[in-house]
Amino acid sequence: MGVRITGIGIVSAIGLTVEENLNALNESRTGIGQVAFLDAGRDLLVGEVKVSNTDLKNTLSVGAGNISRTSLLGLKAAREAWGQNKHSEKIRTGIISATSVGGMDRTEVFYKDYLAQSDPNFRLLKTHDSGSTTERIAAELGISGYINTLSTACSSSANAIMLGARLLLQGRLDRVLVGGSDALTKFTIDGFHSLMIYDDQWCRPFDESRSGLNLGEGAAFLLLESEKSIEFSGNRTICHVSGWANAADAYHQTASSPEGTGATLAIKNAIKKSGKSLNEISYVNAHGTGTKNNDLSESVALKNVFGDYVPPFSSTKAFTGHTLAAAGAIEAVFSVLSIQNQLIYSNLNFKDVIFETGLVPVTDLKKGQSVHTVLSNSFGFGGNNSSLVFTDHL
Amino acid sequence: MFYISAASTISHQPTFQNAGFSGMIVPLAAESILISPDYKRFIEAGLLRRMSKILRMSVACSKDCLEQAGVEQPDAIVVGTGLGCLQDTEKFLNHSITIEGLLPPTSFIQSTHNTMAGQISLSIGNHGYNMTHTQNSLSFEHALQDAMLLLTEGENDILAGAADEYIEILTEISCHLNVYPRSPLTSAASFFLLSSKEKSGTLAQIKDVATFGLVNSIPDTILALLAENETNADALDLVLFAGNISNDLTIAGVDPDKSLDYKNLSGIYPTASAFALHYAVDRMQQDKSIRNVLICNALIKSNLGLTLLQAIEA
Repeated sequence: MGVRITGIGIVSAIGLTVEENLNALNESRTGIGQVAFLDAGRDLLVGEVKVSNTDLKNTLSVGAGNISRTSLLGLKAAREAWGQNKHSEKIRTGIISATSVGGMDRTEVFYKDYLAQSDPNFRLLKTHDSGSTTERIAAELGISGYINTLSTACSSSANAIMLGARLLLQGRLDRVLVGGSDALTKFTIDGFHSLMIYDDQWCRPFDESRSGLNLGEGAAFLLLESEKSIEFSGNRTICHVSGWANAADAYHQTASSPEGTGATLAIKNAIKKSGKSLNEISYVNAHGTGTKNNDLSESVALKNVFGDYVPPFSSTKAFTGHTLAAAGAIEAVFSVLSIQNQLIYSNLNFKDVIFETGLVPVTDLKKGQSVHTVLSNSFGFGGNNSSLVFTDHL
Repeated sequence: MFYISAASTISHQPTFQNAGFSGMIVPLAAESILISPDYKRFIEAGLLRRMSKILRMSVACSKDCLEQAGVEQPDAIVVGTGLGCLQDTEKFLNHSITIEGLLPPTSFIQSTHNTMAGQISLSIGNHGYNMTHTQNSLSFEHALQDAMLLLTEGENDILAGAADEYIEILTEISCHLNVYPRSPLTSAASFFLLSSKEKSGTLAQIKDVATFGLVNSIPDTILALLAENETNADALDLVLFAGNISNDLTIAGVDPDKSLDYKNLSGIYPTASAFALHYAVDRMQQDKSIRNVLICNALIKSNLGLTLLQAIEA
């Protein structure tokens, strides 16, 4: 079982297109740097998309009107994934996006003026709700009918991919654009600082000295198609989504369980669903945020599932920053690129193994690898854990 | 088939643990308030203190629903919310703008849309599928559809529901955006246990749930859904609707005497169609002549949600 992926699109701190992202991954070049576009009110390291809202609006020809950065980034990636595809009445096309902040970037502008009683623009709030960010992307692409938004914190867009695959398999849709988008906001930056898990230095996933994450922003979309849709589009299949699972950790509102309960269930069930055996997993694109808690819990889960034979794994968060709801889709695109280009990415900024688990991630880019099956993990706040399996064959 | 095994609602009406409420409620007055149960019966005191309105409502309804159905662990928890945890979102936004230095994290932690589903899983120790849909006025229908996909995939019992909370700034915002709602803005949560098999206490069955974003023709869409389900407008015993669509319903052949604007009863919040579902199910228990019900949610007119219900065979 599985569904075909026929298009991908991405915008992140390391590039505005699939090609730019691939180049940066190939050069092990991070996109994290000092905050430059957002007025965060403090110095900090972030994975910003290196384009202003004005330039994004111009590039996308959406006019100068009120639109959230979350919608702009999402539209940029969605257009690339959609490509030159055409609409047809016979092909039921849907869109599922994921976001955690929605139009919070605009709401912050409003609320600051509102508190200062300096003529706040209430119209900015029309883009606040998460659903409206997806509706805007759908409207620009001419998609109507099934338009949905998921919000499960850091696992949101992995769930969008999963839901899209399920809708295709049950014949509710023929074609669906799935992914997610999140813009950087002061709200989330202050939020992760309040939790004391924002690292003022470079984030160091899976390193013993890790002390938190660097936030990022971005968007990614994948086009999933059924056989019927492929007959119409003639699109070439570039990869498959073959396995998926979602499980609740039910341990703590923000922290992951030390036993990795939810993560273990998600990984195990996704691989089971894919029909692959454990030793067929060529690469694990880990969630690996760089927080003490996540990386330990995820390492324990990997050992729970794979025992002494944990496959090559790395976190790409040190390239992009943690892009929250967009992370699952961004890393899904990286997983597809890994299979297409036979690459295993470097886990940047790693020095020392985590004492409790002793797991060593891939520390140098590996080229010419035999990569056929990739596991991608996305674990969120609130105990929302999801894993996906991508393969080059069914 | 998809069966509703239990339903629970906390709202501005006396809906909670009050079977037969549909026969006694009247349209909401402008100054109505949320009718809260004694939450301590459902939520541990320490936890309760930190919980916002939307979280209390969601956890209490969920537990009540599971108790009614006699199900300890559902296979999945699926929640729809249009605007999420507004109280904590506004609180943290305020802190973030006005306080220098380290902020208290609780309101940030409880600001994310998945907090309800997360807190429900925590409160009952559930490790199943856990999802949150947020598509403004269609969030609940999307959650229902997801639950139905899960039942088709072989799961047995799904806890599916919706919640939204009112905060004061919403009234100010609607004035400034020139929206003057004719019904009060309210808070509510409704949860349902959806099952793949009929049980002794089964309330009704869901024939179909469909969502149409950026919808073209409301009458055509309704007619197509009825046709797909091999029924027609004449067979409908009750049509619950929200939004300015009386004309569309007439064009679709719906008898105006059988239709009822549910937002007069529920008040306005993005997931008010969940109130309508509970109301419909309750009416069906009271009046066995009501066998086929359609809920037409056009609270935001560009987005149409349709839910088709049928009574259980006697």
